[in-house]
Amino acid sequence: MSKEITRRQFIIGAAAAGVVLGTGGMFVWKGHNIPAPVRRGDVTYDVLIIGSGGAGMRAALAAMAKDKNLKVGVMTKLPPTRSASTMAQGGMNGVTGVGTNVKDTPDLHAYDTIKGGAWLNDQDAVEFFAEQAGKTICEMDYMGYPYNRDKEGYFHQRKMGGSSQPRAAYYMDRAGHAMVHTLFEQCLKQNVDFISECQMLEICMGGEDKKQLNGVIALDMRTGNILGIPAKSVLIATGGYGRAYWIRTSNPYSSTGDGIVAGMNIGIPFKDPEMVQFHPTGLAVNGVLLSESSRSEGAQLKNKDGERFMEKYDPQRMELSTRDIVAQSIAKEMEEGRGVGEGISAGVYLDFTVIKPERVHAVLQQVFDLSLHFAGVDITKEPVLIAPTCHYSMGGLEMADFHTGETRVPGVYTAGECSCVSVHGANRLGANSLSEVLVFGKVAGEGAADYAKGHDYKGSQEDLKAACKKWSDTFEEVTHREHVGNRTVPEIRNDMVNTMWYKCGVFRTESQLQEAAQELAKLTEEYKHVYVGDSSHVYNTAFEQYFELGNLLQVSHAIVQGAIARKESRGGHFRRDFPKRDDQNFLKHTLIFKQPDGQYKAEYKDVVITKFPPNAPKPQAK
Amino acid sequence: MYAKLRIHRFVEGRKWKQDYTVEVKTGMTILEALIAIKEQQDPTLSFTSSCRSSICGACAVRVNGNAVLACETLVSDQLATYDTNVLTIEPLGNFEVIRDLVVNWDPKFDRMKKIDPAVEPKDEFSPEEGCRQSPEDFEKYKKYALCILCGSCVSECNKNSLNQKDFLDPFAFVKGEKIVSDSRDKSPKEHLRRIVDAGLWACFNCEECTAKCPKGLDPAGAIEKLKAETFKYGLADNVGAKHAKAIYDDIQESGTLDESKLNIKSEGFLKAGTRAPMGIRLMATGKLDPMASHPVNPEIATIKKIVQIAEQASKEG
Repeated sequence: MSKEITRRQFIIGAAAAGVVLGTGGMFVWKGHNIPAPVRRGDVTYDVLIIGSGGAGMRAALAAMAKDKNLKVGVMTKLPPTRSASTMAQGGMNGVTGVGTNVKDTPDLHAYDTIKGGAWLNDQDAVEFFAEQAGKTICEMDYMGYPYNRDKEGYFHQRKMGGSSQPRAAYYMDRAGHAMVHTLFEQCLKQNVDFISECQMLEICMGGEDKKQLNGVIALDMRTGNILGIPAKSVLIATGGYGRAYWIRTSNPYSSTGDGIVAGMNIGIPFKDPEMVQFHPTGLAVNGVLLSESSRSEGAQLKNKDGERFMEKYDPQRMELSTRDIVAQSIAKEMEEGRGVGEGISAGVYLDFTVIKPERVHAVLQQVFDLSLHFAGVDITKEPVLIAPTCHYSMGGLEMADFHTGETRVPGVYTAGECSCVSVHGANRLGANSLSEVLVFGKVAGEGAADYAKGHDYKGSQEDLKAACKKWSDTFEEVTHREHVGNRTVPEIRNDMVNTMWYKCGVFRTESQLQEAAQELAKLTEEYKHVYVGDSSHVYNTAFEQYFELGNLLQVSHAIVQGAIARKESRGGHFRRDFPKRDDQNFLKHTLIFKQPDGQYKAEYKDVVITKFPPNAPKPQAK
Repeated sequence: MYAKLRIHRFVEGRKWKQDYTVEVKTGMTILEALIAIKEQQDPTLSFTSSCRSSICGACAVRVNGNAVLACETLVSDQLATYDTNVLTIEPLGNFEVIRDLVVNWDPKFDRMKKIDPAVEPKDEFSPEEGCRQSPEDFEKYKKYALCILCGSCVSECNKNSLNQKDFLDPFAFVKGEKIVSDSRDKSPKEHLRRIVDAGLWACFNCEECTAKCPKGLDPAGAIEKLKAETFKYGLADNVGAKHAKAIYDDIQESGTLDESKLNIKSEGFLKAGTRAPMGIRLMATGKLDPMASHPVNPEIATIKKIVQIAEQASKEG
């Protein structure tokens, strides 16, 4: 007990502990966190989920609830709870029909979603989503989500941009964080098997036509061991690909499209890759998001001459115009030389000094903190530099059946931002992403569980071993390269960002996109000899970043191919040479396939339309 | 301006300190400085980070002995705070180190399972319709739901430095208080019992956790609340609670501690008997005199009043 320990004894104890720690070398990391049978590949997972964000953890709980005897694992490249899901601020949309949401209907939710998505949504999936989203809010309540409440004790639901009803249930301005931690609590309670800090390298297929799922090849970061884990079904829930725009994104460092590339490599098409959402107000210095509420509270956008330039682009709504128009206006000002600063960190001014300082501290405290921390600017005294920032990936691996979460490869499932259901179409509505990961995380978890129950493991241990050997050789070759004559990972990454930001960013044109494709091809060549500079087997983040850059280059290539093929402007995709929406020719999804020779091929698939043909009238509220 | 970062390196059993010089730019965070070193000087330097906006909890490290989130801590602020141009960067304390600044979280998560860290909703609620909760009840645990599991609180926790086996990480107690004070939960007593068993009363009250929490959650305050709740739920039949009660009674009655009886009141007669050698040593040095009458503080009336006011205040919350 604490009371028995005198200060003197404590200091002696602490000193002894210090000596033990100080001697070093006594502790060598053995990496026994992953159980030996799993390391040896002796454990076959029924459902192996890749990614531990909202979708991955929801899927794990759903699969385990389906049948507690199933062997379900969640592999994640970071410890769980470090995901992009934690960053969502606004809330989760869903029609609960109680409290502040009584006038709402699933039809209205569906309509708002489709209108926001510029009719590129698959409407059967949207209808299903709108029916389920409210239920998922209730389910999360039962799991312990800390909802802000109304005075009757129901979830307080608030209205987000693009929603016609107050529909987003939330926890402060930390809705995603609360979701992740609520799910994590449940995962601890259910004893979910986390395979932490393993970087998925490949989904291993076998058989003559490469249609038989063997399992997953992964790098155990803590030991450097390459693991071959047999699995009956694999669920890809690895998040978005915003890091294709590296510092010009609000996404975490981990959003590198790993699962999308792994999926493309086994024949799953990348659907609507060109649909990337740019948020108008990211900090110029590092892309971190300043909340939408900045503009709604009255902050003004000004160019280097102090001109309130939104007067030129949307004189009625000014700064309160929609995300895409504001982002495009800012980009235009910068392009025409009225921005401030040079290069990738240039921007325009966002001026909060017109708002009373007390108001800033009352409702924009987070914006104040971020500006002060990262830009060194006290926004109550001077304007801060902002620029558009890549915020969300609408595109992703094609989900072939939204009732099960399956892809077109048997046994392989997907959910969350890495998937494309298509619920969001060409532009995602605020607060729809959290509901989406929960609804389809659950669907896919159950789908994968059903598949595992109905199938025996037919994969090949030999194939897994061979793939491990191949990756092991790759690891050694890559990490022992010489610096002389080769470029580094950050150098190639910076070039990639310049290409993507300036040639496939907010504005796109045919000629620039073609240049982007050529530049990416050149970078991909250079990447083959890139210098990594660390050959240790223990927690080799240099190798991990090398691997992630490879994924980002492939994702970028797909974004550019999709953008070239879509000769119209819709939602997040703006073509200067085709500034109008073209429903005649492009009410279609882009599907980018990676062919066996590594080349990308674009195909199309019609958008599903049920209740709401383009520009249909808005349904009535209750 | 240039700053030197002295980073504690640890790779495959080899341990050393390495100095790096970085150019300090406006708004440069510790994380950006680490990234600049990795990108431009030494690709072998290893650390973790993800969101770089202080919500994911991946990047906590120690700067000059104190845990901070690397992504929100400005290099210039730290240089000014310590009036230096050399900052020492180490991995979090009280964690197993895997490599350089990367620490092992798995045992921490396993330990959290001891308190069954999830709400068990009351029978009147269902997954189909959710739960009901008043805004006032929500306020009671709202703050504790902000924990990002960054590990800053445990880094300098003195109790954990001494012995991790009979205690938890401060963030686990934050989680515990969140659940115990959540009106939706049907078994706060059961949760609390587990928390007591996991070492609630072993806290040293040094408040390092509260000083370090980047979200201002006051883990030490959560521990105190949990302790108070053990009395409310009739779970005070343990040494820690009895010790607290004995001190309270002494102060209430005489305004001073009666050291000769404190031990017996806390541990009971039998267990206290095993402390006899220490008692004899104390008596030999004149620190303990069982024959002397226990002195009463001359200001006892004022002390009683203070206790009374404090009790009133805690009732009013």
